[in-house]
Amino acid sequence: MSRLMLQRLALATFVAIVPGSNVLAHCFVGGRFFPATLVVDDPCVADELSWPTVSYFRNGDTPSAAEVDVAVEYSKRITDTFGVSVGSTWTHLRPPDAGAISGFQNLESSFKFQFLTDGAREFVMSAALGVEWGHTGSAAVGAEPFTTLTPTVFLGKGFGELPDRLQYLKPFAVTAQVGYAVPTQSSTTAIDLDTGLATATPNPQFLMYGGSFQYSMPYLKSSVVDLQLPEFVNHLIPIVEWQLQTQTSNFNGEERTTGTINPGVIWVGTYLQVGAEAIIPVNSASGRGVGVIAQLHLYLDDMFPTTIGKPLFGSSTPTSGKPSFGN
Amino acid sequence: MRTTAIFALLSPLILGPTSAYAHAYLDSANPRVGSTVASPPGQVTLHFTQKLEPKFSKAEVRNAAGARVDAGSSASGSMLRVSVKALPAGTYRVHWRVLSVDTHTTEGSFSFRVGR
Repeated sequence: MSRLMLQRLALATFVAIVPGSNVLAHCFVGGRFFPATLVVDDPCVADELSWPTVSYFRNGDTPSAAEVDVAVEYSKRITDTFGVSVGSTWTHLRPPDAGAISGFQNLESSFKFQFLTDGAREFVMSAALGVEWGHTGSAAVGAEPFTTLTPTVFLGKGFGELPDRLQYLKPFAVTAQVGYAVPTQSSTTAIDLDTGLATATPNPQFLMYGGSFQYSMPYLKSSVVDLQLPEFVNHLIPIVEWQLQTQTSNFNGEERTTGTINPGVIWVGTYLQVGAEAIIPVNSASGRGVGVIAQLHLYLDDMFPTTIGKPLFGSSTPTSGKPSFGN
Repeated sequence: MRTTAIFALLSPLILGPTSAYAHAYLDSANPRVGSTVASPPGQVTLHFTQKLEPKFSKAEVRNAAGARVDAGSSASGSMLRVSVKALPAGTYRVHWRVLSVDTHTTEGSFSFRVGR
């Protein structure tokens, strides 16, 4: 990338950040805003770009290797409630007893339908089919030679309905997701280079589950009580995410459940958000020590509302009538 | 070819947003969100972070019994004004729903209290 392009990119980022000292955007459900989460997916469809998501941790290999992942994900609404996303991850591994290895993981895509949005109850649900495309990544960094399909259900719920005597709990919200990962091949056959013998490795199916627990300072300010806190604080959403997977069939003999817990914070601006979280493995098969993940996330629907940030078909633009509160 | 394709994909980001609009979010209100005011306000004003489409932006005020106590609202620029009748002591809830000039709709509500 040339110096001129880098300057323009820096300028675009500056333009995106500076006017953003006041506003939120993106996944609104009634008065509730669900930020894009770093480890699990949020329950909405949207025009958005996570670019990049960078993580560093010691993985669950034996012996454990230092791993750096740099990921990008682009999501596009086809209609107001249906969207697709495409993502790719570059992995750099540094095992303790071998040279460094780098390469791309398999290409991933998702087809998501947001089928329920209840603003009054701050409740949203969606369903998606995730596809990890086999043979599109580098086997050296662990990309599988088979495709995996993962149907998943997502939900988000804000606590704004709590009684006023519990007003300081109203900014809380949860998101959750449950999916089931099914490899398109039950086993993978490889030739042992030393013996020349073919060996079959089972490809297990997984129950995938995770979620987030978040406290929205923007919600506190705009819907509960304006404590006149510093503006920076009013844009923060402290959050804990968790992501787990459990082998349910075709076990390969390893630890059946792996995953991480990720406490951190997200700062939300007008056109983008920035988040950082710790990566805490739930057991030794999930990793060693504490890692870190950080993400820059762009709201394309707010940055480019009339071009690439709007659905390909249909529009949320009202054409007539007055807004209704439904009561 | 590959460089051109990458630039085409990223050019909207590199060249910057096409407009400076986004979702309109409640920035401040008078009476303040969650506050208690000693004397009843003559109107409730809501300040948003973006300019509003007046035709599609409105707010209303209801008392603790759910009855409307406002006399209508009007939007101008990024501000929404709600005229209210003489408010006796009590708790009131403001519901708002607005459309920013880039067609994004947002909504929300908050309470304030009149009296000590």
